[in-house]
Amino acid sequence: MIKIKVKCFSQVKYALGIDNLNLEFESGTSTSQLEKFIRRKANGELDGIPLRIALNQKYIPDETELQDGDEVAFIPPVQGG
Amino acid sequence: MVKAEIINGPINFFPSEDNRQQDGAELVFNGRVRATEHGENITALEYEQYEGMAEAELTQLAEEAEKKFPIHDLFCKHRIGKVEVGETSLHVSIWSKHRREGLDAMDFFITELKKRVPIWKWAILEDGSRIPSKCDH
Repeated sequence: MIKIKVKCFSQVKYALGIDNLNLEFESGTSTSQLEKFIRRKANGELDGIPLRIALNQKYIPDETELQDGDEVAFIPPVQGG
Repeated sequence: MVKAEIINGPINFFPSEDNRQQDGAELVFNGRVRATEHGENITALEYEQYEGMAEAELTQLAEEAEKKFPIHDLFCKHRIGKVEVGETSLHVSIWSKHRREGLDAMDFFITELKKRVPIWKWAILEDGSRIPSKCDH
């Protein structure tokens, strides 16, 4: 098993009603599997919202296998400025 | 040189400088909070950041702008937390030899900031409720 911390912001935080999630998954779980889990947990409230993935505070372009202790954020469209 | 800071509280603007003998252009941009969003009145915006990553991305973007355009300095402050209507949420100063490269760098920097720096707005409505902002400009 691996332990993953998910940071929630903006629409993700609003949909899940929580700032952070501490989760456990089987070894070999990927970022896209985690995204599906998060979208299911949001009961459709994230449908149609594109989410970029930040792994340990850096954007990643492709699906990646998660490692124990990883911090993941699903980044909804940003709105700085 | 670049400076990029995330500020929790009012922004102290970078001072204008009279002693830059090689910079013919000093550009200043202040992004301010409007009173309406999508036709709905708001009292303030509350900016949320991904702490650590937001300042790192902002710094990396400033460095990219400095490499991409022949400018001398780019200084930026982005505010987080509650920002009342009319107050400044984003302050950018750029110094360059001529105006064109400074204007182009400013446009690039702000356009990219709005695509990749992990900062979000929550709208504070007149009844005090707080919802994710719909504004993507």
